[in-house]
Formats: sequence, C-alpha cells, structure tokens
Amino acid sequence: MKPYIIRRSLLDGFCFSVICSAFYFYLPEAVLNTEMNFKLQIILFLCELILGALLSSVLYRGRITTLGAKIFQPDFNPGVAEAKNFYRTFWGWQFLVTLLILFIIGIFKTRFSFFELLNIDGLQGAQRLFLGMASPNWQVLPQAISNIIETIFMAFIATTLATPVAFVLSFLAAKNVMKGRMAFIIYLFLRTILNLVRSIEALVWAIIFSVWVGIGPFAGMLALMMHSIASLTKQYSEIVESVNEGPIEGIQSCGANKIQTIWYAIVPQVILPFISFTVYRWDINVRMATIIGLVGGGGIGTMLIKYQGQAMWAEVGTIIFVIAVVVWLMDQASAVLREALK
Amino acid sequence: MPNVILEIKNLKKTYPNGVRGLRGVSFQVLRGEFLVIIGLSGSGKSTLLRCINRLTDATNGQIKISIDQTAEKVDVTKFKSPTAIRALRKSIGMIFQQFNLVPRHTVIKNVLMGKLATTTTLKSILGLFSVADRTEALNYLELVGIADKAYLRADHLSGGQQQRVAIARALMQKPQILLADEPVASLDPATSHTVMNYLKKVNHELGITIICNLHDLSIVRQYATRVIALKDGEIVFEGSPLAINEDWFQKIYGIGALEKEIG
Repeated sequence: MKPYIIRRSLLDGFCFSVICSAFYFYLPEAVLNTEMNFKLQIILFLCELILGALLSSVLYRGRITTLGAKIFQPDFNPGVAEAKNFYRTFWGWQFLVTLLILFIIGIFKTRFSFFELLNIDGLQGAQRLFLGMASPNWQVLPQAISNIIETIFMAFIATTLATPVAFVLSFLAAKNVMKGRMAFIIYLFLRTILNLVRSIEALVWAIIFSVWVGIGPFAGMLALMMHSIASLTKQYSEIVESVNEGPIEGIQSCGANKIQTIWYAIVPQVILPFISFTVYRWDINVRMATIIGLVGGGGIGTMLIKYQGQAMWAEVGTIIFVIAVVVWLMDQASAVLREALK
Repeated sequence: MPNVILEIKNLKKTYPNGVRGLRGVSFQVLRGEFLVIIGLSGSGKSTLLRCINRLTDATNGQIKISIDQTAEKVDVTKFKSPTAIRALRKSIGMIFQQFNLVPRHTVIKNVLMGKLATTTTLKSILGLFSVADRTEALNYLELVGIADKAYLRADHLSGGQQQRVAIARALMQKPQILLADEPVASLDPATSHTVMNYLKKVNHELGITIICNLHDLSIVRQYATRVIALKDGEIVFEGSPLAINEDWFQKIYGIGALEKEIG
C-alpha cells in the first residue's frame, strides 16, 4: 500500500473518531471514566478509526476530497489551483468541525475556569508572592551569583563535550555522505538512536543521571550533554546534507578517500553554520540548566527550588532577577556572535 | 595498437528512473589526442565522461584503459574496491563546468588537493604537503598563468581564473587523461578561448590526452583533433572537426538548428 493512502486513512480515521467522541457527552460519566471501561474505550476508538478510514476511502472513490486526501494525496496537476472557497469544500468543514470538537474537549480536560482565575483568596496569595519578589532580598545575591556561575559552566562543559562528538556523528548521520548499503544501515541505526535520545527531554535525563552519579551539577551537566549531542548532531547533519555537491565531485575526481573528501570538500562549507549552531546551543543550555536544577541538576535551579519550597519569595525574587539578567545577556551575546559569523 | 589509451565497447547506462543516458557507445581514443564530444544537453556527454572515472557507474559494457604505456589495458567498469577506483581517478584528471573548487580555501591549497591521492589521510588533514608538492603546485599555476593569485581565496577569482586553477589541480595528479566536462559553458567567449588555449597547451606540451565535452561548434573546430557527436545516447558522427558541414550539423542538433557565430 502506498504511504500516502495510509496517512490519509489515519488522519481521516482520527477526525472521524474525534467527531464521534462529541456524542459521548450525552453518556453518563460512570460509563466512560471508570477503569473497567478503559479497554472498551480503546476498542471503541480503534473501531471508529477503522470505520473512519473506510469512510475516507469510500468518499475518495466518490471523488470527494477529504482532509487526508487534501494534505497527503500527491498533486497530479500542480498547475491547477483550488477552484472552490474552503468553506464550500468537504475537507474545509471536516477540519473546522474536528478542530472545534478538539477545542471543546480541551477546555474540559484543562479544567479551564474563570472562577479560579479571579478567586479573591487566590489573587491575594499571588499578590503576596509578587510583592515579595518585587522587593528582593539582596542578602542572597552573592550565593545566587556563585550558583549561576556554576550553571553557566555546566552549560559550557556540556556544550564543549557534546560538540566534537556531534561533529563526528553528524557526517555518519548525513544521507549524502552515507552512500552504499552498509553505510546506509549505519545511517539509519544512528538516526533512530539519536531520535530516541532527543525525544527524552533533558529534564528526564537529569533525573536519570541524578540517580546514577548523585544529585548535583555533574548530573545536570551530563543531562545537558546527552541532549546537546542528539540535537547538535541533527542540526549539523542537516547542514551537511545541504552542501554544494560540486566541490565533493571535484575532490573525488582527484582520487581522494572518504575522510579527505569530507575534510576538504564538506568541512569548509559547513564550519561557519556549525559554529553558529554551537553558540546557540550554549545559549539554550544555560536556559535549560536553570530548569534542570529544579530536579536536582545543581546550579541556580536547585537554589531556586529550595527557597520556593519555603515560600521565601523575597529570596526567590533575587534568584529570578539573576537568572533573567544572565539569560538576557547570553541571548544578546549569542545573537551578536551568530550575526558576525554569517 | 600500442597507442590506444582508452577503448570503450558498447557502453550503456540506464538511470534508476528509467532514463537511458547511453545506448551502446563504442569508440577508441589514441594517446595524445584532443578528442571533443559534442551533442545537445541530455545527449549523454556528461554521463559518458563520468563513467570513465567512475563518478557514475555504467550499467553495461567495457571501458578499457592502459594507465601507463607498458601496462595491459584493464576494464575499469569491473573495479569494485574503493582503492582501485581511487587509483583510477588519480591517473585521470577532471575539470567541470562549475569548476568545483573549494571556495573558502586558497588557490594553492585547491591545487594541492590534486595530490590527495598520494598523501596519507593524517598528513592531508593536518595540511602537511611536502615542499616538493608546493613547488610543483606553484609551477602548474605558473603554467596556467595565475601564479600571482596563489594565496587568494578561490572564490575571489573570476570564472576563467577558477577554471585555470581547476586545470592546475588536475595536472597535480600527473594524469594520463584529462576529462573536461563543458569547461567553458559558463564563461564568456573571450575567456573561453583563454581556457581552451591552456587545455591545448597541456595537450601539446605535456602530452596529456584530452577528452572534452563542448557544445559550441566554433570552438570545436579550432581545438579538436577529432570529434564524436552523441545524440540520444548514441554516436551519430565520428571524424575530423572540419568534416562537420551543414547537413551533419542539422543531424546532430536537430532540423532547423542554426550555427551561431561567436568570436
């Protein structure tokens, strides 16, 4: 089966099951939300998905363009523009109705409530917090600064260790370098591993490493490094894949081997974007490092969570101020650096 | 026949998308020739050249090359190992329509890249080319008349100058054969003649066999010692450049085509 048919069926099936779920609201809560009926719901959802997919193919045969067909069907007549306005098409209404139902479900699921937002007790609590933060306790400033320096170095070491690893891996994860069957297997394997590593958030890596090496900046640094390797490799390899093929052929025609070709034909083309992405990654890592501290990754985040736990808002205010200044400075510096490297 | 350097037999190339680039091409090249291949875009000229140094793999047929005068001719389409293919490429220089220099490196470094095949990986990564190699590079830059540009960045040169750097780079390989894929197609007429004159010089003074793709017939008549014309992946003409009259021209380029006069 062609991939676009599978994609179309899945999307249309999903839309259909969303539309079906609009009718559940009439059913009593007990039928739906008990654990006993969890299996039933899954089966119901899958049935709706399949039914929707079948419906999609019936509609497609009947020359009605569903949303899935509109998005995934290859365009056989690229020169022909859509004649009808979207509100007169089937796919337009399918999209609007699905979006509306999803929005309504979302409002319920997130327990959206104006009452809670404007509740007087809650507002007073928030006011206390903001007032505390607005009058920072500068006593903790030296400690905050020494902690943010730790955070900055966490980010720096994580980036520095990740860069050479990502540099080497990026060529192995670039399609235009990895030609041939064995090379393609390595390419696929590496891509899968990297996607896996990247899909695990740095926060989760920090939890893993804080168990492994103990709570503190080392765990935070390792977490950032793992995430940076995966992200940088992906970004680097995309640059490698977009290089001009001309110099590569020029070097190959001289009888150069693979490593020489990469070094002489690809590296000069990618080095500036690589540096630019690395600087940006350091910037991102400083921001991430403050968050990672919240789960035991050391640095300013650990200090923040300590004072927040004791509701010492004046101290929290100082810490937030220090973080804001450093993040803003890093952001500006990295922007200026990247602009200069263009 | 000891002076046949290259012998192509029934060469066929079908691309994965079904396009047939070459439909059985056979010809011989003599040592020291300046052979020009003409034809429309898409007639298979580039494919033919790229099959010779294995930038493209032929589907079928033989390409027999005698790397040095004494050696037996070997069929290079049978080469499997990267080492064998690299050795082949070392003895065949190539220049391209888009020059294919490395833009950020200096001119002399680009020329030194012609020695990559004989430099170890570690030394080449560290940029440690021998003094002899450097002197040789400067000599070849002298030969193509741009020794004074040796330490400029390659992308600061004009198109014609870049193509001359590419010639110098190819010469560094000490090639037996020089392949030129549309070397003057992106240059203006005056610069084209400069570049072609250097190719002629290389052919005469260094005795390197040249196989060159061109589409401008006025240039062909001036430089070629022999011409092969391709049309839809097949040879439709083989002979002296002076033998291409109006009739042949129409056969090669299609009915109604007009020969334009340049320079």
